[in-house]
Amino acid sequence: MRLLVALLALILTAIGGPARAADRVVSLNLCTDQMLVLLAPERIAALSTLARDPTLSFVAEQAERFPTVRASAEAVLRLRPDLVLGTRFGARTTLALLERQGVEVVRTDLPQDFPAIRDWIRLLAERLRQVERGEALIAAMDAELVGSVGQATHPPNAVAMQPRGYTSGPGSLMDAVLRAAELANASGGRRMSAETLLRHPPDILVLPVAPAHPSLATAMLRTPAFAAIPTRYYRPAWTICAGPFTGRAVEALRR
Amino acid sequence: MNRGLALVSVLLFALSLMVGDSVFGSAPLSIMVDIRLPRSALAWLVGAGLGLSGAVLQGALRNRLADPGLLGVSGMAGLGSVIVFYWGWSQAFAPALPIGGLVGAGLGVAFLLVFAGRAPSGSALILAGVAVSALSASAMALALTLAPNPFALAEITFWLLGGLEDRSLTHLALAAPPMLCGMAILLRLGTGLDALSLGEDAAASLGVRVDSVLRLAAIGTALTVGAGAAVAGGIGFVGLIVPHVLRPFVGERPGGLLVASLFVGGCLLTLADMLVRVVPLLLPVAQTPPLGVITALLGAPILILLARKAAP
Repeated sequence: MRLLVALLALILTAIGGPARAADRVVSLNLCTDQMLVLLAPERIAALSTLARDPTLSFVAEQAERFPTVRASAEAVLRLRPDLVLGTRFGARTTLALLERQGVEVVRTDLPQDFPAIRDWIRLLAERLRQVERGEALIAAMDAELVGSVGQATHPPNAVAMQPRGYTSGPGSLMDAVLRAAELANASGGRRMSAETLLRHPPDILVLPVAPAHPSLATAMLRTPAFAAIPTRYYRPAWTICAGPFTGRAVEALRR
Repeated sequence: MNRGLALVSVLLFALSLMVGDSVFGSAPLSIMVDIRLPRSALAWLVGAGLGLSGAVLQGALRNRLADPGLLGVSGMAGLGSVIVFYWGWSQAFAPALPIGGLVGAGLGVAFLLVFAGRAPSGSALILAGVAVSALSASAMALALTLAPNPFALAEITFWLLGGLEDRSLTHLALAAPPMLCGMAILLRLGTGLDALSLGEDAAASLGVRVDSVLRLAAIGTALTVGAGAAVAGGIGFVGLIVPHVLRPFVGERPGGLLVASLFVGGCLLTLADMLVRVVPLLLPVAQTPPLGVITALLGAPILILLARKAAP
């Protein structure tokens, strides 16, 4: 009987996951997922499920090659990670449980402007021991930002409208993108109805490209009457998470 | 009386055009035409469709509790629309949206009529309707959970409680033709429903083809309620309360209720939607209440009154 139990335990641990390799990293947040793919793909034990969504993730295609995991402590432990990446506010109970089990957890604050993006890339690059790749990502982003000093004398007014009619107010990542693209953010970050937008039309309306699958929240951005306002589009994957790819949004909106 | 109701409808419609979602009064033409016109027109049309189909269902099923919302017809219409909308069919082919709604509504109302033919009592029919309603609501929640867009599940309030926010001329163009066809069918059922109130055998002896009256009632209801729910979500209680409010004035004859129910339903929902838009202007709230909340707050007490009256 005891032998049977021991055997069973052995089989279960064998099923439990591959043998412990050095430096296996799990990411539980879309934003850290993308940084992990860009900085240290060879060390990925698992990414969050959102990493594969092409409307949300800049690295959706690369992410297909890696396993995904839900933010559940048990599922993550089974992967035997050495390091788990998360954010300060996401999956709090899961991260706390993992720490109690002796897993190293890195919680970062998500950056909201370009200097903070550079700091964030450096911080993660250091933790993943990929300082050179980090510097290369920053250099590539800065190359896309070149030419935008954000100091045009009369920048056109712009409203960046998000699904459900929310606008991007001061202090948001989109606000930093607009400033870098030499546009003046004319919205206060509150919800704006179609009627209010048309009553006070900005010089430029900034919208995300339509998602592959619709919702009422995103369909309202396609209100036919908005066609009267000059519109510039960006891919939401560039701005949902800040990252080196956020420079692409600036490039798309600058023109 | 009907002429008076038509006049009130026109006045309310004009007033509705004057209520913006941030200001009272007129606005530039583009805002009037592109934003306020579709919203006001849909409010009246959807309300009129619900009021009329409520009156027809109460006559056809000979049950005063019959209502497209309570019997799950609106819920089934919402389910059909949800499937068509979130999986991108209506993006590829816009009329798929009302079609999804009326296929769902058609299935719901067909089930009810078949069930009513065999139902031992009126309360059994209402119970079956409540079951259809619960089933459609949970199937809708399941569909929204599985939908590929991350915003989908949060939008269940719209599909369960309705709303007319951000409806454009496109929505009006999609929903109005099937709704008007449905209304035209339902309005012609007056004589048939009057005969049916005497019982199926008596109606048949009067030369009324009972089957065809019931079939037309089902088709008309599916068209009006289905296309309406596809663009305005599930708005409840209008079909229940309107005929009840009208009976003391118009009389018990089901046929006599139809035109009046159409107008009063339209007026009721126009008023309710104006209230929705006025709330943020008068109260310090950031969100507007869903349209169906207003109609439920009006309708639920009436339902309770009815239940008390019906109790021995």
